[in-house]
Amino acid sequence: MEEKIQNLYGELRNMGALFLIYQKRDNIETTKKIIPEIQEFVLWFLEKNRLEIDETVYQDMSRNLLEILEDILEAMKQRDMVLLHDAAVNGLLEYLQLFVESEQEEATDDDL
Amino acid sequence: MTTYEKNLKTLAVYYPEMDRMIEKAEKEAESDIEVIEETSYDDEGILKITKDGKTCYLNGKRDTKEAAQSWVKTLGKLPRNTPVLLMGVGNYFYLKELAEQMEHKITIIVYEPSLKIFLKFLEMVDIERWMDKHLIIFWVDGLDGMDEKNMKEMLQQILKYEMLDHFKYFILPNYELLFREEAVEFIKSCRDIALKELSGFSTNRLFSGVMVKNLFSNTRHLYKGYKTTQFIDVIPRDIPGIVVAAGPSLNKNIMELKKAKGKAFIVAVDTAMKPLIKAGIIPDMFAVIDALKPIDLVKEEEAKKVPLLTTLNAAPEVLNYHTGMKFFFNEGYRFAEEIFQRSGHKMGDVSSGGSVATHVFSLLHKIGIETIILVGQDLAYTNNKAYADGTFQDVIEESDTSNFMMVEGNYEEKVPTATDLKLFLDWYNMYIEGVQKRKPNFRVINATEGGAKIQNTEIMTLKEAIEQECTKEVNIEECLEKLPPMLNDEAKEWTRNYLQNIPEEFKKLKKDARKMKNYYRKLDKICQKKNIDKKEYLSIMKKIEKQMKIIENENVYQMIAITMSNAQYILQGQQYFQEKSMQDEGKEIAQMGIGYVEDVERLAAVFQKYAEEIFSDLS
Repeated sequence: MEEKIQNLYGELRNMGALFLIYQKRDNIETTKKIIPEIQEFVLWFLEKNRLEIDETVYQDMSRNLLEILEDILEAMKQRDMVLLHDAAVNGLLEYLQLFVESEQEEATDDDL
Repeated sequence: MTTYEKNLKTLAVYYPEMDRMIEKAEKEAESDIEVIEETSYDDEGILKITKDGKTCYLNGKRDTKEAAQSWVKTLGKLPRNTPVLLMGVGNYFYLKELAEQMEHKITIIVYEPSLKIFLKFLEMVDIERWMDKHLIIFWVDGLDGMDEKNMKEMLQQILKYEMLDHFKYFILPNYELLFREEAVEFIKSCRDIALKELSGFSTNRLFSGVMVKNLFSNTRHLYKGYKTTQFIDVIPRDIPGIVVAAGPSLNKNIMELKKAKGKAFIVAVDTAMKPLIKAGIIPDMFAVIDALKPIDLVKEEEAKKVPLLTTLNAAPEVLNYHTGMKFFFNEGYRFAEEIFQRSGHKMGDVSSGGSVATHVFSLLHKIGIETIILVGQDLAYTNNKAYADGTFQDVIEESDTSNFMMVEGNYEEKVPTATDLKLFLDWYNMYIEGVQKRKPNFRVINATEGGAKIQNTEIMTLKEAIEQECTKEVNIEECLEKLPPMLNDEAKEWTRNYLQNIPEEFKKLKKDARKMKNYYRKLDKICQKKNIDKKEYLSIMKKIEKQMKIIENENVYQMIAITMSNAQYILQGQQYFQEKSMQDEGKEIAQMGIGYVEDVERLAAVFQKYAEEIFSDLS
């Protein structure tokens, strides 16, 4: 799963940077291709408290993650690129980050 | 006082009456969108829009500022007066970041296609500080006078050549989805105006050196010349007009044109004359507009007497070589307008569109012809060629068009075109649409049989077009023979005296320029002092302004201004980027001003000499 998370993290980082810096806003099609990976990650996260944090915090985080997924799917349906960017990059990416090694994060930065 | 009320007050300070316009529009507004205000996770107001069954956010729920901040960061430090065009204000953080982060005063044009969103924006954030710091123009669809035409005029004022390198435009995310048509139109307007400004500058630079001499030389032809508005009296409107351009497809159907002779008003562009004459076709008229057109293109015995549509700055060698009827139209040269006025004929211009063919097209429409057939008007490099064979060379060489922009073709899916041709294509699209809105019977048949597709035209072969439209006999030569020259004897006499007095007008201009120079010298002296006398400074500035107005009002100054467009560009370009004290600014104004009026003086002397040479013999 680790590798999958890292790949997903890289994809979303790129997508976010392209949106913000180069104004390439066609994030709908990019996301379409990685929806199975996104869903897989959400299910994996919801399966158990993998971060071994306080249970109440974990429950809040799970609820929030489901909301993010809902926003992603709604944005795809409406072709709403603002909501999609917001949910994927300002939402989901933060969750992925919790499971990505800092070294790999730097490598992703270099790719950009 | 609410934020909305405060904003209306602020807007009224900068744009009197805008508050009333908004209140009026608010009462009358009908809208096909729903605007919902939500609160973001970081406690900011954000908007969600529902339109045509689609719902979209204009700002993120989780991070309201990042997108706007990143965009402004990519702009860097913008020079003073840079124009920034922003489409949409539904996510006000873009405007906020831009206004707050830019150090220098810039010009921000905010185009909002939805009045409802604009009204919501006015409720959400106080704009006073931004308005104080920058020049901000809000252009809102639905407010009085803020239509497409006026928007183009406004953009023309802002997108000046000297600022084009710095000019930025930005469409807020999701606006391209919610307001697709408006976004396309907005980008198109910006691009067209920028291209026009660019091409206008290049044309001025290229032609200014020769323009004045051409003007004077050609003015002599007004003596025996004709006015395009006279066509209305003799050319029947129920025959088609044919524009023969010199695009590469002309070679395909040139022989067909023989069948149209005597059944249409055939007007050729200068470059098409040689291949037409070679094919045994003499058009009813041809057009020469360009100042630098080589005479070889039309130097044919058969062309000499063919009526000519021309301008005062066309190549004088062509006008001198040509002996037939010459038709002129109002071009806005002040000294020539005085003569046109004496003719007693109606004012009548021709829309330029940038090419000889577009001039001809516009003329045919303006004289009342309702069906125009285009021939050889490729507006593209059909088969990678720029012109028809037999124009500039017997066989035109193929160009490498691999890097050319591609546009929709008449017969091919895409055809390569160049920037100037694209401008002409855009002009046709705009012009035809405009005319057809006013006159639904106006038809344009594109019988080019190749090239780029012009919107709102019927595509057919020239053979079909002639069979269908050229059904009535007409002798254009006989029609034109009925026309008297535009000036009668009395008007000719007046014109002679007027032109012979032109050298005197330049003499007066020289004198006024010298007076202006003295004012600038005085300004320089004032600014050399340690402590500037503000009263004295303002008084001399007022005198300079007044004297400049006197100079600008002189008829012959226009010719100097055209010639000096480059110099003005240099002056204007510099003024945008400097930051100075009153004293430094004054010194700089004085130095530049002295340089400028010295050029005016020098040019006035040169033109005085031209005028003396050319107008001394007006028999």
